[in-house]
Amino acid sequence: MTLGDALGMAAGNLRRLKLRAGLTMAGVVIAVGAMVAMLSFGAGNHRLGASQAERLGLLNTVQVTPSSPRDSLQSPPLDAAALARLAALPGVRLAYPLDAFTLTLARGEGALPIEAQALPEAALATRLFSQLRAGEALRGVPGEVLVTDAFLSALDLPFGEATAVVGDSLFVSLTVASVDSGLAQALASGEGGLFGLAARLPADSLRDSAARRRLLSRELGAAAGRFVGGYLAGTVLRDTLVVRGVLEGTQSNRLRVKPILLQPADALRFNAAGPPANPLALVTALQSGQLFAARPDTGRGYPAVTLDLDPYAPYAVVRDSLRAMGYQVFSYADQLADIRRAFVIFDLGLLAIALVALVTAALGVVNTLLMAISERRREIGVLKALGADEREIRWLFLVESGLMGLIGSIGGILLGWLVARGASAAAKLIMQRQGLPPLELFATPLWLVAGALAFGLAISLVAGLMPAARAARVDAVEALRGE
Amino acid sequence: MTPSLLATRDLARHYRRGPQTVRALDGVSFELARGEFLAVLGASGSGKSTLLNLLAGLDTPSAGEIALEGRRLDGLSRRELAAYRSERVGMIFQAFNLLPQYTALENVALALLFGRRAARERRAAAGAMLERLGLGDRLEHRPGDLSGGEQQRVAVARALVKRPEILFADEPTGNLDRENSEQLGRLLGELVAGGQTLVLVTHDRALAERLAQRLLRLDYGRIAEVWQPVREARP
Repeated sequence: MTLGDALGMAAGNLRRLKLRAGLTMAGVVIAVGAMVAMLSFGAGNHRLGASQAERLGLLNTVQVTPSSPRDSLQSPPLDAAALARLAALPGVRLAYPLDAFTLTLARGEGALPIEAQALPEAALATRLFSQLRAGEALRGVPGEVLVTDAFLSALDLPFGEATAVVGDSLFVSLTVASVDSGLAQALASGEGGLFGLAARLPADSLRDSAARRRLLSRELGAAAGRFVGGYLAGTVLRDTLVVRGVLEGTQSNRLRVKPILLQPADALRFNAAGPPANPLALVTALQSGQLFAARPDTGRGYPAVTLDLDPYAPYAVVRDSLRAMGYQVFSYADQLADIRRAFVIFDLGLLAIALVALVTAALGVVNTLLMAISERRREIGVLKALGADEREIRWLFLVESGLMGLIGSIGGILLGWLVARGASAAAKLIMQRQGLPPLELFATPLWLVAGALAFGLAISLVAGLMPAARAARVDAVEALRGE
Repeated sequence: MTPSLLATRDLARHYRRGPQTVRALDGVSFELARGEFLAVLGASGSGKSTLLNLLAGLDTPSAGEIALEGRRLDGLSRRELAAYRSERVGMIFQAFNLLPQYTALENVALALLFGRRAARERRAAAGAMLERLGLGDRLEHRPGDLSGGEQQRVAVARALVKRPEILFADEPTGNLDRENSEQLGRLLGELVAGGQTLVLVTHDRALAERLAQRLLRLDYGRIAEVWQPVREARP
């Protein structure tokens, strides 16, 4: 007896008992359908994350920071020399520092602090900064900038309205600490200034040495205070930037990308003016002895350096080299591996739920087959009298069980696919209504189809084992006697 | 003397029914020659069907031996017994035992399912056998659409289609009217005339004496009588 013969007989028996077999298979259809729909969600999210990472070039991007942010002084410095060393590592195509500062964006009557980042031209050409949600890439025109999703969020703009900001002028300002403004305050000709003091000071008062010391001590102390005050009050630089394009996807990863991306020449105007005028920056500058250093300064440290890797370079080797150099490494490749692990656990959870449904469906298969055996005892007896051995009787019932599983699984895959499509359409509609880009959250890849088919079939075959064994043990003599 | 095809020695089949042992068959010894027509007679419960089931390899003896051409059947594995039933034995039942979901053609072809023939070959052989038994116009009819006589002829076709060495018929006329019984009797006679070895279990002594070459009567599981019918020479 061939598989074709067994399939033909099994199909005939299922046709004969349409309602019972149909109800049994409906159980399998629902269970496999639930499994496919649930795992389609997991597969869709996984595919979405991986494809976005691939498309946005995140998998080729690594960000290097000092080994511990709290302990940055003890880490190897991320300075120009370190930058050169990082750029020279095998597999690294480009290394560029995170050069960021806070701008003040004029908005209506108020102002909004917003971070900006300077990017070298080579970095702007990488895939990470080339995938645009709206607008166009920078073309070297001074004053043109790219903005990110974070910029839209800061302005409470939905991502769907990214196009609206393209071409907008951004009125920004930056207050930088300035030695000039400090000196101006200290030497001012007014009442508090040193020039003012010189003008109003009686010449005789400087003859007495004790009085001279007291005066100089008091006035020079006051002048130093005015210098620091003037230094911190700084100089306000104003500029107008034009939004050329809006980057896509930068909100979805932990890479440090600031809301406004400036071209090198534009950034230099802000950078060269001096350190940011805030006490923390001042303390840092004092600690590093760079308070009055000219900017840009090759000796200063960067908070992070971004590496663009050759896509064919072995990432693990590059990562290990960076760690060996004493740096902390963040990469989306690592994050994706973590996400994959999380999805495996998530999928296993979904599978466990589907398994409960499948076990219930399998019990239906067992019940149907046991009923079939009690009804078909005479048939089994006849088949044995005609020469069927126990193996062939077992095989017949297993094929019948497998056929129910196969048909049920195919129906279940179709049902699951339809549910996934429906849920996907609903999710996209909701995302669009909320101003989010419509993402494809469901995917039914071939491995899922094949897996569901194999799983449904396997469960049905396992369910058929016990009834098939019982059928094989039917005593032919008793069955033919009708007992 | 014609060499024996099938032989039994001290064949016994006992059943446990609660605390009691039922001796359905006890110490039965006989030989069956190739081409012989043996009729087994006896009252209900005398062990006729039990003997037939043992000879056909459907049941295994509690004691004694069955040998086919000198090879013992009682020592065969289940699979070997199945092969014996599939290749060397044909069975006809009182209740026909046709499968109602299949057509006459499919029922007959079913007998060849457990051999090595291809489906097309099986259907061709089944069709030819049904034609030979006068059922050429009933190939696609299901058992429910056939008369009792036609059903039994389909059952005979199913038993014969694999050209068995021994044909076992268990009360084949039990569910047939007189005319159909006569017709089946003639068919069995023709088969034996053609060299078919046949063991017929029946209540119908007249039929048995008219057709069989040797008769064996069982009584309470034992052979009570063996004889050859005396037939008057036809003028």
